[in-house]
Amino acid sequence: MKKAINDFIVRFANVNGTGSASANFLFAKTIFRMGIPVTPKNIFPSNIQGLPTWYEVRVSEKGYLGRREGIDLMVCVNPQSMAQDVKNVKSGGYFMYDSTKKLPAEYLRDDIHYLGVPMMEMSNEAFSDPRKRQLLKNIIYVGALAKLLNMEVEAIKVLIGEQFEGKAQLIDANMKALQLGLDYAAKHFDFPLPFHLEKRDLIVDKILVDGNTACGLGAVYGGATVMAWYPITPSTSVAEAFEHYCKMFRIDPDTGEHKYAIIQAEDELAAMGMVIGASWNGARAFTATSGPGVSLMNEFLGLAYFAEVPAVLVDVQRAGPSTGMPTRTQQPDLLLAAYASHGDTKHVLLLPASPKECFDYTALSLDLAERLQTPIMVMTDLDLGMNDHISEPFHWEDGRQYDRGKVLSAEELEHVGKFGRYLDVDGDGIPYRTYPGTHPTKGAFFTRGTSKDEYAAYTEDGAAYKRNMDRLLKKWDTAKSLVPKAQLYQEKTNQK
Amino acid sequence: MSYLKPLFKHPRLPKNKLGYTLKEYEGSLSTLCAGCGHDSISAAIVQACYEMAVEPHKVAKISGIGCSSKTPTYFLGNSHGFNSVHGRMPSVATGASMANKDMQYFGVSGDGDSASIGMGQFVHVIRRNLNMVYIVMNNGCYGLTKGQDSATADQGSKSKAGSINPFQAIDLASMAIELGASFVAQSFSGDKQQLVPLIKAAMQHKGFAFLNVISPCVTFNNNPGSTKSYDYVREHIEATSTLDFVPEMPEIKASYESGKSSRIALHDGSLIQLNKLATDWDPENRISAVNALQQARAKQEILTGLLYVNSEWKDLHGVLNTYHKPLNRLDESDLCPGEENLLSINAGYR
Amino acid sequence: MKPTNTQNPEYYHKVVDCQYACPAHTPVPEYIRLIAAEKYTEAYMVNWESNVFPGVLGRTCDRPCEPACRRVRVEEEPVAICRLKRVAADNKGDVKKLMPQGPFTPNGKKIALIGGGPASLTVARDLAPLGYEIHLFDEQIAGGGMMRSQIPSFRLPEEVLNEEVNYILDMGIHTQFLTYVKSLREVLSQKYDAVFVGTGAPRGRDLPKLPGRKEGDKFIHIGIEWLANVAFEHTKSIGEKVLVLGGGNTAMDCCRTSRRLGGKDVKVVVRSPFEEMKASPWEKEDALHEDIEILDNHVPLSFEVKDEKLIGMKFQKVKAVYDDNGKRQLLPTDEPEVFLEADEVLIAIGQENSFPWIERDLGLEFDQWGMPVVDAVTYQSTLPAVFFGGDAAFGPKNVITAVAQGHQAAVSIHLFCEGKNLRERPSPYTNLVSQKMGIHEWSYDSGISIDQRYVVPQAEKTITLKDRKKEVELGFDVPIAFKETQRCLNCDVQTVFTADRCIECDACMDVCPTSCITFTANAEEPELRQKLLVPAENLTQDLLVSNQLKTGRVMVKDEDVCLHCGLCAERCPTSAWDMQKFLYSVTKAYQMPAPLPQIQK
Repeated sequence: MKKAINDFIVRFANVNGTGSASANFLFAKTIFRMGIPVTPKNIFPSNIQGLPTWYEVRVSEKGYLGRREGIDLMVCVNPQSMAQDVKNVKSGGYFMYDSTKKLPAEYLRDDIHYLGVPMMEMSNEAFSDPRKRQLLKNIIYVGALAKLLNMEVEAIKVLIGEQFEGKAQLIDANMKALQLGLDYAAKHFDFPLPFHLEKRDLIVDKILVDGNTACGLGAVYGGATVMAWYPITPSTSVAEAFEHYCKMFRIDPDTGEHKYAIIQAEDELAAMGMVIGASWNGARAFTATSGPGVSLMNEFLGLAYFAEVPAVLVDVQRAGPSTGMPTRTQQPDLLLAAYASHGDTKHVLLLPASPKECFDYTALSLDLAERLQTPIMVMTDLDLGMNDHISEPFHWEDGRQYDRGKVLSAEELEHVGKFGRYLDVDGDGIPYRTYPGTHPTKGAFFTRGTSKDEYAAYTEDGAAYKRNMDRLLKKWDTAKSLVPKAQLYQEKTNQK
Repeated sequence: MSYLKPLFKHPRLPKNKLGYTLKEYEGSLSTLCAGCGHDSISAAIVQACYEMAVEPHKVAKISGIGCSSKTPTYFLGNSHGFNSVHGRMPSVATGASMANKDMQYFGVSGDGDSASIGMGQFVHVIRRNLNMVYIVMNNGCYGLTKGQDSATADQGSKSKAGSINPFQAIDLASMAIELGASFVAQSFSGDKQQLVPLIKAAMQHKGFAFLNVISPCVTFNNNPGSTKSYDYVREHIEATSTLDFVPEMPEIKASYESGKSSRIALHDGSLIQLNKLATDWDPENRISAVNALQQARAKQEILTGLLYVNSEWKDLHGVLNTYHKPLNRLDESDLCPGEENLLSINAGYR
Repeated sequence: MKPTNTQNPEYYHKVVDCQYACPAHTPVPEYIRLIAAEKYTEAYMVNWESNVFPGVLGRTCDRPCEPACRRVRVEEEPVAICRLKRVAADNKGDVKKLMPQGPFTPNGKKIALIGGGPASLTVARDLAPLGYEIHLFDEQIAGGGMMRSQIPSFRLPEEVLNEEVNYILDMGIHTQFLTYVKSLREVLSQKYDAVFVGTGAPRGRDLPKLPGRKEGDKFIHIGIEWLANVAFEHTKSIGEKVLVLGGGNTAMDCCRTSRRLGGKDVKVVVRSPFEEMKASPWEKEDALHEDIEILDNHVPLSFEVKDEKLIGMKFQKVKAVYDDNGKRQLLPTDEPEVFLEADEVLIAIGQENSFPWIERDLGLEFDQWGMPVVDAVTYQSTLPAVFFGGDAAFGPKNVITAVAQGHQAAVSIHLFCEGKNLRERPSPYTNLVSQKMGIHEWSYDSGISIDQRYVVPQAEKTITLKDRKKEVELGFDVPIAFKETQRCLNCDVQTVFTADRCIECDACMDVCPTSCITFTANAEEPELRQKLLVPAENLTQDLLVSNQLKTGRVMVKDEDVCLHCGLCAERCPTSAWDMQKFLYSVTKAYQMPAPLPQIQK
């Protein structure tokens, strides 16, 4: 096999629920810490326990971090998927397996190398607790890989120390398992393999983080106070991240009161309804969902569009149609989201390409929703949302003010002649709104999903309807000037 | 010309302690059918808000879709209203409440809106004990689509067209008690003397206050054989009690017949004064309330009045322990953790 | 409280405040609607049938209807009823052909009318079509009585008066003008079947005992006499400085006429406080507008004469003091006497009746004040064939009262001549017609205008002060008149309640914009009045109480501030409420058939 430095793919084949995720992350994160661009992908089934799951790590010094064909090294600890895993190894590649049991003859290929490590045997010998035996078996293969791929052992140890901070017993056990792997590989295999790692300084100040965390954090920074959601893969961790950071930053230290409200709704319809209710009442609110949720939210998205109520939706897309492949990535919601609801609707979508943009766009979407008084959808996908990506670090300009849009205060209402909720005063298609409870006699209006005139009165008059629809289109034009510029990426080197 | 409401009012119209007359709490002229029970309920809301001297703009009215959901146009014209989508009022109300805990929320719904398309949201808003007044204007039929039976139509009730409803009725009041509503009452649109104090008490109750109000549909469900007609309801109504809502703790002066009189204190010290008519019924006991309802049903009676109340349970804001200041009034300084914290978050992802 | 008996025509009549307040009970809302519909001729005829002098009254009526107008109770200013009447007169078409057309078949009876004023003319109009031979006597050169002699032309143009007087005289009335009747005995000897006395209150009060009265006599005039002299052009000028004594409408006419006859510094001096003057507020306004000063709280002390020439008057300043019963006393103040310069003085401090021509031995009784004893219902004197009406009957009132009394006297005369009992008087004509057309649609205009009262435009002062015949008020033009008609609340369209249709849905109670309707347990009236949504504190207005309803309650409606907007009926699902137009017409001796378009018999 050709020698390759910092350019290969390792795939881990595990059983869902066996604790492989942290070991695999340890592997990827170590490479990241070595200053080498790396991208891990979780490839998992729509299942909680027992089905095959894979973790694929691409290392690319040149920064090519999408998935590509060809597995250079397969670490297979899942007998269930082994037949398929053996086939997927690139010719000339390597196949590491648990050699406690003999490898069945049908899995033997003559164009790949086999690296048998008796992980179970070693683990059973070293550890007595059954649960630990299973978990630490994974660290043993990380140790073996460290030796084979020339990983910085010190970096692994630092990471273990960070991961189990304060749990000395666990740190010791992990260190022991790591060492077992290292020693085994050193003793039984030629190392390093032709493809392996060399320390670089290509990461600089970048971070390794998933998009959902970034969205949740962006919502905290963007000032969202109400989050309503219904659990759905792959968006759930957006809500979890939001809650995590709210707990960190939004609890009054004196009283313990929360400067946020998170409601796990009964369904996506209700989640969007709550967002709309809260936004209508002047709070910044958002929800996160995926395709099937967007389908359900169509009703409310139409209402928010037509009644001009702000709303923010983070759509972490997954494969459709219908329930589709809940744990596989796809971008199938673009049309659904762009024109959500019946009738003439056009929605503003923000499409982040990195965790940094997930953070920025989620915060920005809260501004845009209030500025434009319409739903804003942040369209990420399972890959961006649930996998760790190397990203520019998050940044917040201190002193940045939220753009609360055109909202009239009680004092301003005093100086407004006749308040027209849907009156295009400024010529940008965006009318002025009032929060409930502002003024005893002025500025109250009726919000409705039916057609209305400039003063929010119900009407079926053709001319009034058209004026309203034309104004919404004008607002759409205004939106174009407010959203981030589209970025077009091109592979320059291959250009002819 | 009688689609416009004259602007004149009675020159000696009494004022409440805020200096407002009843007029300040009215909305525009109803476009529902003449004689619709819903209009009476709207009027009862107007009366209750006037008597409670709430500032009209501190009330938000939220509804779904249907005849009942149109009514917020017809009361509290100085309040913001939100006529949302069918069956989804509870979620919009929940969001609104989360944004501003300092306002009074009126949710108006109908039997179709709550017992059919909105059943999911209805039961969940109860579970959360959202601090709101939830009124179902229950006429047992779909008025806007011309009189089809709804899920609360009684089995055996006859429609205007003459067909008999073969299905069991959903009993919203029993269900609300079962699901943990902290205030459940039942009333009749034609009995403002009972309805107005019930609405007042519901407004003062901190938590989910549910009012199932039988409200005859004069156009499609007021025929002989219907169990939601004015005549039928008047003949079969059975009040649990007569009641008064007492906004502040008064000196006890009146004496009531022992065993029949009961006072229920709400969280703020205001009182519901009950003069019980039903025996073996304790409004602070869930089992007893459910029993009373079931027994009334067995006798084909419609039990009205306050059925159940519990002022101990925390409302949703209490459960979530939200900030004392309404969330919609928080700004960057309250909400944004700032760059310094972000630097350490970044460090955690390296 | 007992259920209201709406079968009694007076119940609904009382709801029509303006009509009820009008002595002649003119169906005001009815003609206002006709004006709105640009049916001026019909509007005029509704008036003419009832009050005989629409053109005159549309300018000069004392308008008892306006303070009664419901609009005063819900807004502030009444509908300009009087001036709308004038709009009908100004814009009418050929009305004469709609009036009873002579010659009438004689019925062989002969009637004498003494005096040619509004009362007598009304009797003439009501009796002529029945075939009576009518002889009218008046000392003046033309008919009209005080309308001609006392109301100045700048308020009532002569053509308008002539037209309306002639409508009657043209019915074949035998007139003997310039004939002062000196003896009732003589009249009675002419074999009249009945005699009607409508001689008004012809004597102006004087101040005979005030020092200087005699000495200054040349310069001191009795107001109504002076006005008559102006009207008949015997008097054509007046001095520059004029004092008018008195605070009634005659005083106003005197001072304004003085301004037109050469008076430059014209002052009205009155004993009472300004607010309590008898003159109509609008008359006072017009006087002030013509630069006439009104000095109130001044009691005359003396006429000051120097070199046989009046130089002015002295007054004592007083202030009004009220006792616990509200009775007023004018007490002198410490202020010094006031001297006001004057070239001439007009005394307009009231009028009196005077019957020197009625012999006291005819069997016609007089009371201690020298007034004939007249039956208040039949207007018959103690001499059965002699009837009285107008100011002559019960003292000075106004034109509309004279007309109302004329109608009643005519009914009595007719009954008398037919040998019938004068006490068995015909009931008023009434009918009640539903106005329901469909959803939101009523055959009357139920919308409630929030407009304020429109002001009647006036001609420029520079022009009117130069010409005493130039009419000051220009009258409403048609567009403004229409807007003013819209202020009428159509109180004659009654809210009629049928208890056995009511399902007690409360819709009417909830929708009523003025909170008039309450469903409640019955009680005695004082308690019931307190139990209503808004306590019914205006005791002059009735409660409409229904029969007992199914739930045992009653419907109670306080008529006080009902807008007659029809919303109760609109929102009533069972038509238990209906809006029904109520027509009430005082029965006259001769009841007009056509052309009254709204009366279907």
